[in-house]
Amino acid sequence: MDKRSTVLVYGTNLGGYRAAYALCKKGHQTTLLNRGSYVDEYRNQAMSQLPFDFCWICGHMPQRLFKALGSLSVHYNAELIEVTGKAGDFRVCFKKKDQVVDNFACIECDRCIDVCPVEVGDRKAMYVSPKVGWENIYLIDWENCTKCGKCEEACPTAALKLERPEETLETYVGAIILAPEFDEPEASDLGLFAYGNSPNVVTNSEVARRSLLTNFVSDSVRLPSGKLPKQFAIIVTPHFNKPGVEYENYNLSVSAIDRAIRIRETMPDSTVTVFLRDYRGFGKHQYRWYQRALERGVNVIRTDKLSVVAKNGDGAVIEYGAKPEALPVELAILVTGQKPPSQMENLSKLLGVKSDGRGFCNIRSHSSVETDVDGIFAVGEFSGAKGNPETVWEGCAAVTEAMKYLGKPDFSPPAPPELRSVKGEKGKVGVFICSCFGTFNDKMDLELLKDSVKELPNVDHAEIIEGCCTPPSIKETVGKIKAAGVNRVVLAACTPLQKLLKYRKTVMMAGLNPLLSEFVRLREDVMNIHRDPDKMLTKALSIIRPGVARSRLGYQAPTLADKFLPKAVVIGGGVAGLTSATEIAANGFKVALVEREETLGGKLDYLEDDEVEHVKSLITDANESPLVDVYTKSGVEQVDGYAGNYTVTVSTPNGQVTVEAGVIIVATGAGEYEPSEFLYGADPRVITQAELRKRMGERAGSKRVVMIQCVGSRNDEHPYCSRVCCNQALKNAIELRQKGSDVTVLYRDITGYGPEDLYSKAEEIGVQFIRFDPDKYPQVKASDSGLEVSLTDSSRKKPLAADLVVLSTGVVPDLENNQAISRILDYPLDADGFFDSDANAFPYEEAIKRLTKPFELATRGIFPAGLAHSPRSFDETLLTARDMVGRALVVLGKGRLPSPNAMYVAEVKEDFCVGCGACVDVCPYGARFIDPVRKVAVVRPFLCDSCGSCVAICPNDASFLRDFSGRQSIAVLDDVLA
Amino acid sequence: MDHSFEPRIVYMMCGWCGTGGAETASAHRFSYPENIRIFRVNCTGSLSTVHILRALIEGADGVVISGCHPGDCHYDDGNYMARRKVALVKTILDSLGLDGDRVWFRYVAHGEARRFVDTASEFNDYIADKGPGPLATRSDT
Repeated sequence: MDKRSTVLVYGTNLGGYRAAYALCKKGHQTTLLNRGSYVDEYRNQAMSQLPFDFCWICGHMPQRLFKALGSLSVHYNAELIEVTGKAGDFRVCFKKKDQVVDNFACIECDRCIDVCPVEVGDRKAMYVSPKVGWENIYLIDWENCTKCGKCEEACPTAALKLERPEETLETYVGAIILAPEFDEPEASDLGLFAYGNSPNVVTNSEVARRSLLTNFVSDSVRLPSGKLPKQFAIIVTPHFNKPGVEYENYNLSVSAIDRAIRIRETMPDSTVTVFLRDYRGFGKHQYRWYQRALERGVNVIRTDKLSVVAKNGDGAVIEYGAKPEALPVELAILVTGQKPPSQMENLSKLLGVKSDGRGFCNIRSHSSVETDVDGIFAVGEFSGAKGNPETVWEGCAAVTEAMKYLGKPDFSPPAPPELRSVKGEKGKVGVFICSCFGTFNDKMDLELLKDSVKELPNVDHAEIIEGCCTPPSIKETVGKIKAAGVNRVVLAACTPLQKLLKYRKTVMMAGLNPLLSEFVRLREDVMNIHRDPDKMLTKALSIIRPGVARSRLGYQAPTLADKFLPKAVVIGGGVAGLTSATEIAANGFKVALVEREETLGGKLDYLEDDEVEHVKSLITDANESPLVDVYTKSGVEQVDGYAGNYTVTVSTPNGQVTVEAGVIIVATGAGEYEPSEFLYGADPRVITQAELRKRMGERAGSKRVVMIQCVGSRNDEHPYCSRVCCNQALKNAIELRQKGSDVTVLYRDITGYGPEDLYSKAEEIGVQFIRFDPDKYPQVKASDSGLEVSLTDSSRKKPLAADLVVLSTGVVPDLENNQAISRILDYPLDADGFFDSDANAFPYEEAIKRLTKPFELATRGIFPAGLAHSPRSFDETLLTARDMVGRALVVLGKGRLPSPNAMYVAEVKEDFCVGCGACVDVCPYGARFIDPVRKVAVVRPFLCDSCGSCVAICPNDASFLRDFSGRQSIAVLDDVLA
Repeated sequence: MDHSFEPRIVYMMCGWCGTGGAETASAHRFSYPENIRIFRVNCTGSLSTVHILRALIEGADGVVISGCHPGDCHYDDGNYMARRKVALVKTILDSLGLDGDRVWFRYVAHGEARRFVDTASEFNDYIADKGPGPLATRSDT
């Protein structure tokens, strides 16, 4: 039996959505089980953890698109009943209940709300949440609903049914991805913080939810009395709560700091104090955020003990520290962690996945998302306390790891309809006025509008249609367009932002190129906002007239496709590079692996034994794979071309080699900070953690060991956390202590984030921890009797005596190499010298594009992985490599990719072009170049996002967008004012 | 406010934040003056000074260019280019004695329904107070 290529995704955390998106795009039909009743009913990870107060769920999972294409089935109120079979061939039995208001059929006409007889405060029992302009969710307040059924009667598209039956379905899939959302702590878990019985204590996720609705941070922290607080405390609760109640992911300190910055920036006369044990943000730029918070006047108090006392609706008092100290505040915001997943027991019974002892799903050693059961994967918060970036990486890493159990992708969207050419035909414009299933008739006399439109110049046909956003109404409209015999179409309906593909489909099914059509917003620009019928008529005509002009002068041209080479180049042969190369090759694509040293493997000296074994097996795989060409003692000299069509020149010991590639993975790694301070190099009793680890046997005799953290990290030269040093120090400290040494760790913040709580373990066995301030680093002096480490802290007069001083040195980028590669690839480095990441792309829109469309062209097909990107642990390096591979796999198999903007791209009137190059400079996407022979501008339609900057800047009107040329835009503008 | 004439106002909006502001206002069912005429472009960066001048010549009493906030342009930097162009146009209009204050450039984000509506009303009142545009009464172009 062939392996199936279908996949089931259970749960809708960010990683689950991302995995579903990638798989659909790659061609694997996916079933998505949403336990909730609408798309983002559970959106915990995004709401409370992401420091942006945005969830981007709509971006991470464009459900409408894939549902329309047929590659995704979404089920709501869904639960697994039974799962049998094995990897490659699971039988999944699940129950589901459709939404009361079917999201995909709802046209948001509001009739259900208008007829609802039950008022609840300032809304009705039938209401919308939240109102953001499109993609609104219509909900029923069941407590107050009388089930009168008026809403169901009024719905024009039969999207609303109060009684939905529960159904049981079964499906066969090759792999199962488990992505349930995390559970937030309940009020009973937060008793230490007076949560639940005071309006002055709220959680950060509540504040975040309110921000989404109001867009103002000040409103989101307003007290129920209406007062805006001035004194805030922001508390990272897992630092102080009883152990085992909630787990911390590293995002929490960052979210706390970010919330503090926002409050200070919007309310300059506020006092904000952040309470935490350590600032544990180690992601990209997170230390800089911390510095920014201090600059903005945020107070940060580090303490080991904290509780909150509520003062009867009149504020709260934070009691902290040993004494304890007390700080009265008006609002305490709790940044809470995750509880172990409530789904664990159920999924364990159904699927056989095992817990890891803390209640999270266990993942196989050195795998990123694979559970103990073949073919079943756990993504995101289900397998541990996770910050956003990890959850998002795990989404595409799941694609990579699932491939070995899945059959070849076998789903392709239906071919677009045949379009006819209108060349030589006289232009005939038809205006189709949507009545939105009759709902517009209440607001305006559509017959009068139709007659007025007929009177407009250049209009040959005007007709009222029922709708063009549901399959039956689309079919009907297509019939009407064909019957009218027109070759230009103006659809006056509602916003194309939500329905663009449906409108284009309507026009295309009628055989016409969408460039010959225009869609105007009758609902948004007339019906919803105006009242006076005469003025509404004038306004409606003022939007239809220019639509007629634009469609009449439309320039029909096809969608162009470009080839996407099914090959990859991986720069760097360390663990990230080896993982990327072997995984891509395992999927049948050729890979060129370029390594500058003589041997593959990277910095093996820093790895544990089992990690070294893992790398060695990857080296064997790479060398033995017929699809991987390994070039050692080689470097990348030059890269030409663009995404999907790169030509890479590699200099090898045997001369230059040219390699073609569709994607490039940058895995050039990083190095270790070499200290010159603390007597390192001068005294053999001062060593680094790596040196200690290698020679642990010898050094165990040292009775008194002092470790110094943050050497070369989180300072002016390297304002970032190096991630790996705290864990390495804790591991070494525990081992030394177990062998009988006295160990003291001098630290600034302990960022011991990982699956094991080494920090608690070290404290339990008697490792001493002493904090020092960033501007008061300890000093090391040598004497005959040993070393002396003195702290400039006034409370410590006596220096510490030591036989061994161990420095926790940081990760530093290989600046020279990175800069060279960055120049060659034209891929930016961040301020610290590592390769830039998605979320930090500039401007913000670029970051969103890269994050939510991770395998499309915003990334230009270049993916940095591992230490080249930022300081990482071994398992995190594997994760980022697999994530990048997952993204690459989506596009590598396509062969040919159509331009993302379909037929809406720029073109050049070559007779008018003088080759001045202004358009090349102004294009934000590098989608143009000057042909060196013909001296005219040439467009790469594959990269063109159709912004129009080239049109504005061209001095000769040689550049035009197919739907926005000089002639067309002026005609449209004239008609706007006519 | 009671006006003796109804200004003809052209709103040049980008397809993302610009029309987004209008759409969110529509979702909230906010009302705003009916006399604004919409000219939609993909990005304010694709607007040329020609478009703005043409609008004024063809009878607009005022023009508002509405785009994404700095840093939020869907196409990276179009709104920055638009800002410079608008500054240029205003200087040209002023030096020709044609009242550059009739051209406004305002950032309105997709979700800022209230800001969109307030801008529309504010500009409408502003232009109504000023009276017809100096080019609007010419008929020989």
